[in-house]
Amino acid sequence: MSSSEALSNSHAPKATSGERALSLYVCLILLFLALPIFIVVPLAFSSDASLSFPPHGFSFRWFVNMVNRQEFLRAAGLSAMLAVVATICSLIVGSLAAVGLVRYHFPGRDTLLMVFMTPLIFPAIVLGAGLALMFSPLGLLRNFWGLLLAHMVVTFPYCLRTSLATLHEVDKALEEAAYTLGANRWRTFRHVTLPLMRPGLLAGATFSLIISFDEFTITMFLAGPGLMTLPLEMYNYTEFSLDPTIAAISTVLLIITSIAIVIIEKLVGLGKQFS
Amino acid sequence: MSTPAGAPTRALDGLPPRRIDYGRLFSLLMLLAPAALLLAVGLLWPFLTMLRMSFLDRYPDPSALTLEYYTLVLGDPYFLRIIGRTFSLALVVTVITAVLAYPVAWFLARSRSRYKHLVFLAVISPLMVSIIVRSIGWTIVLGNEGLINALLHGLGLIDGPLQLMQSFWSVVLGMVHILIPFMVLSIASVLGKIDPSYAEAAYVMGANPVRTFLKVTLPLSVQGIASGSVIVFCLTIGAYVTPVMLGRGKVLVMAMGIFEQMVVTVDWPTGAAVAMVLTMGTMLVLIAYGLFLRRYSRR
Repeated sequence: MSSSEALSNSHAPKATSGERALSLYVCLILLFLALPIFIVVPLAFSSDASLSFPPHGFSFRWFVNMVNRQEFLRAAGLSAMLAVVATICSLIVGSLAAVGLVRYHFPGRDTLLMVFMTPLIFPAIVLGAGLALMFSPLGLLRNFWGLLLAHMVVTFPYCLRTSLATLHEVDKALEEAAYTLGANRWRTFRHVTLPLMRPGLLAGATFSLIISFDEFTITMFLAGPGLMTLPLEMYNYTEFSLDPTIAAISTVLLIITSIAIVIIEKLVGLGKQFS
Repeated sequence: MSTPAGAPTRALDGLPPRRIDYGRLFSLLMLLAPAALLLAVGLLWPFLTMLRMSFLDRYPDPSALTLEYYTLVLGDPYFLRIIGRTFSLALVVTVITAVLAYPVAWFLARSRSRYKHLVFLAVISPLMVSIIVRSIGWTIVLGNEGLINALLHGLGLIDGPLQLMQSFWSVVLGMVHILIPFMVLSIASVLGKIDPSYAEAAYVMGANPVRTFLKVTLPLSVQGIASGSVIVFCLTIGAYVTPVMLGRGKVLVMAMGIFEQMVVTVDWPTGAAVAMVLTMGTMLVLIAYGLFLRRYSRR
């Protein structure tokens, strides 16, 4: 028996106290992560007029209030529209760039990739203020197209990253085969590469939709009366009244997010997109 | 078939062509141009607009370039306090996040648990929950009528509510909650690549588990901690929503200062100068990280 086998055998059968402590610790961290997220659910059904815990009674009135307030519905519509259009545009731009970065070798490729990822760490508050300064003489403030550009910038790195990850797994031989059989570069991309990239594109689309739908800091500089996204409208509401209406909206959003997570997990495996 | 069999293979393999293949170059440019254009218009242009604004003597109708607003910002105790608070917040959040995240990353990289996949999902799922929802959640936990105060009151430990919101530490808590997944992912990806036989070797040679961890595994995983720290630090110094919603006006950070100057008092050059100080902070961290990586890979 080799030494490493002996080692792993001595560890394997019984969970050591260290391993049990680690599992307990991980459970505590998961509890910490889940706590502020799931605590909004019971409060959504509270009959109290404030966000007090525990709720003193049960009622649906905050859901009724949510539906009756036109501004939330309108804002949700704009957010959804913005998220969908920004995602489609970012996916196109991101997948094209991914093909360029993976299938072609050229000097400065790694640097270019880093540059393409900068929106991930560039301070959102600076980008938002900068876009506002740039847009105001162009008349793009409080304008859908201005918002779209901003949302494309922040969602693009996610689309690029997931596209890159799947493209690395697509067998180059398949593209070569299409090419040798007489398909030109565009037809090869359209009929071979693109269909094979589908899992990555799906994952990218999910992330992009969520990032855009939740975007707050940049949007706050560019939106305004008549053009409000849901996070902004929710924030505005909490400025004036901290009642469970906001918990009701949060609960609806949580349900939608959970469904999205389950779908993407079933379709492509969320874990794969990160490792 | 008109295309010779060798040419496309070389084109796709990315082998250096014997002469410049203009068709290939053209398609490469076409592939990268939309992304380059997007970042030029949507990131570089606003950044340069901001940079220029920070040097203008007044706006509108600028007549000269000046450093006046930088000296104003860096000489004003009000702004200095905000800058100091922002960077100490980022530092504290980075350290706490790294310490809390490391064991979770270790679990994800090493454990043979059946629930590993589920744990992974549970760690990254909060990334998909709106930051507004999470701030509301913390309000419910920490508020005067919130969970913790209700618990303490129920146990008879306090009479009146404890003021848990509106403090530096409530903002730290909110930021740590948001950023833990990023740190776990960074560290786990590096830990996963370390060959366990290094640690086993140290163990066989007689090092106890603590020594093995400190002398072998930890140094090998420093790169993951470093890249995670860069992300966490950069995202914290630019954060707006959490300090506003958990600090409730009591914890002023640079992002709020920028918003005040740009939108409330409409003093654009001052706001731009604060924004540039923030951006320089981000850049310094990135440069330090780059230097660290170079030194580290040389060893």
